[in-house]
Amino acid sequence: MNMLNVLLIESDPDNTLLENSLNSYGFKCLKTQYSPTFLALIKEITPDIIIFNLDTPSKKLLVDLQTLKSQSALPVLMFASDGNVDTINQAIKANVSAYIVDGLEHKRINSIINVAIARFKHQQSLKNALEEACAKLEDRKQIDRAKAILIKTQNFTEDEAYHTLRKLAMDRNITLGEMAKNVIAMSELFK
Amino acid sequence: MKTFIKVTEIWIPDKERTQLEFGSGLYGGLHDFKAASEQQQFAYNEGLPGKAWAAGHPIVLTKFEYSYFKRTAAAKKAGLTCGIAIPVFSGDFLMAVVVFLCGDDEEHAGAIEVWCNNPISANTLNVMDGYYGTLQHFEAISRQLNMPKGQGLAGLAWATGMPILIDDISKAATFIRASDAQQAGISMGIGIPVSDTLRQTYIMTFLSAKATPIAKRIQLWIPDRQGKQLICQQGYSKNSNDLAKIFETITVNKGVGAIGRVWLTGMPVISGNHESSNYNPELDNLSSMLALPVIEKGRLKAIVSFLF
Repeated sequence: MNMLNVLLIESDPDNTLLENSLNSYGFKCLKTQYSPTFLALIKEITPDIIIFNLDTPSKKLLVDLQTLKSQSALPVLMFASDGNVDTINQAIKANVSAYIVDGLEHKRINSIINVAIARFKHQQSLKNALEEACAKLEDRKQIDRAKAILIKTQNFTEDEAYHTLRKLAMDRNITLGEMAKNVIAMSELFK
Repeated sequence: MKTFIKVTEIWIPDKERTQLEFGSGLYGGLHDFKAASEQQQFAYNEGLPGKAWAAGHPIVLTKFEYSYFKRTAAAKKAGLTCGIAIPVFSGDFLMAVVVFLCGDDEEHAGAIEVWCNNPISANTLNVMDGYYGTLQHFEAISRQLNMPKGQGLAGLAWATGMPILIDDISKAATFIRASDAQQAGISMGIGIPVSDTLRQTYIMTFLSAKATPIAKRIQLWIPDRQGKQLICQQGYSKNSNDLAKIFETITVNKGVGAIGRVWLTGMPVISGNHESSNYNPELDNLSSMLALPVIEKGRLKAIVSFLF
């Protein structure tokens, strides 16, 4: 039994096909139409997945999905009739995990949702790994800059600069990267 | 960490030297007051900076309402209740006016005083003006004092012509009000000579309490014996700051860096991050600085830097 909370955005409120299908698979489904309060609604009900059933995503919807991506990333599944490549690319850029063209079949719904969730999780782990790598690289750059400042102002060797930086960080119980930022900020004062 | 001083501004003469215009400032999170200040100009003898220019000595204004202060509404909204203006002269030539503004928080102990010599007893200083925050008792005692030249913080600054920084002031034998300072929670004091003409001497004293220090760190920079480089003679903050100490071992050449520029130009400078930043005690982060020159007869004698 699925206990996932699904926010279903239907362009045609009279269409109950997808809603019934989701209910039959055991999803807890809330159906509504897309409106300007879309982001506020998500904040309020905190769904596990958002499913759209529409002809084509509007520009405003794609902008909202971009905003959602930075606020609280969620798996987004879109059933649409528009198979235009540009539309698909825009939807994927807006963080849509799966874009299904004319593929609304009851027997496939459950597996499509599972694939969308799995894909979303995989993307998230890649994104986190990338962010971590970028942060490490940024830290590395800041540490090198802080070392260069200490070498220039204190006539330290590279080793002495590194050890000084490390001692300052250890005394404060903070990371080398944080300490490096502090050294840079201090040197900015005297620039 | 809350500091006693909430806003620091530098006002500089315009091209025609008839008005003071905004140079730079540190406003923390007081964005509206900053916006109200940036467009402001002060003629000679107008507003707090203009009055200090005309008077030729520091001025303390402890009440803005119904006074010559021009930004009263914005200051009230920002919770600022007192202003201190310090003109920086090189001879008769005004370089800039530095303005400090303090707030009206419930806990804001500390004192900023202007001492001048007594017309009757020429070798004695008295408090001419002062702002003491919540330290009313300390204020009453200070205003009754006659400070002989060479004694106390102000008297020493006068006698030496140099800024004097006294750490742990409540235990210092040289500080006449030591026991009163201890009661008031004052831990550090700095005396700065700001103007010394043939007839009148003016000394500023900044007394810092641990709860609301004047600044997060104060440094004294002085020229070396050859007058070729500036060295940091003293640095003080409530807590020991290893990082600041590292930067206090550097020597400064004329014109190089913020302190070097103050030496070259005789103009006060504000450097670093002008926007508000939360103090992180673990980082001991100091994000902005005011460097104030001490000039006597056209020569730079020292630079006092206030780090925030």
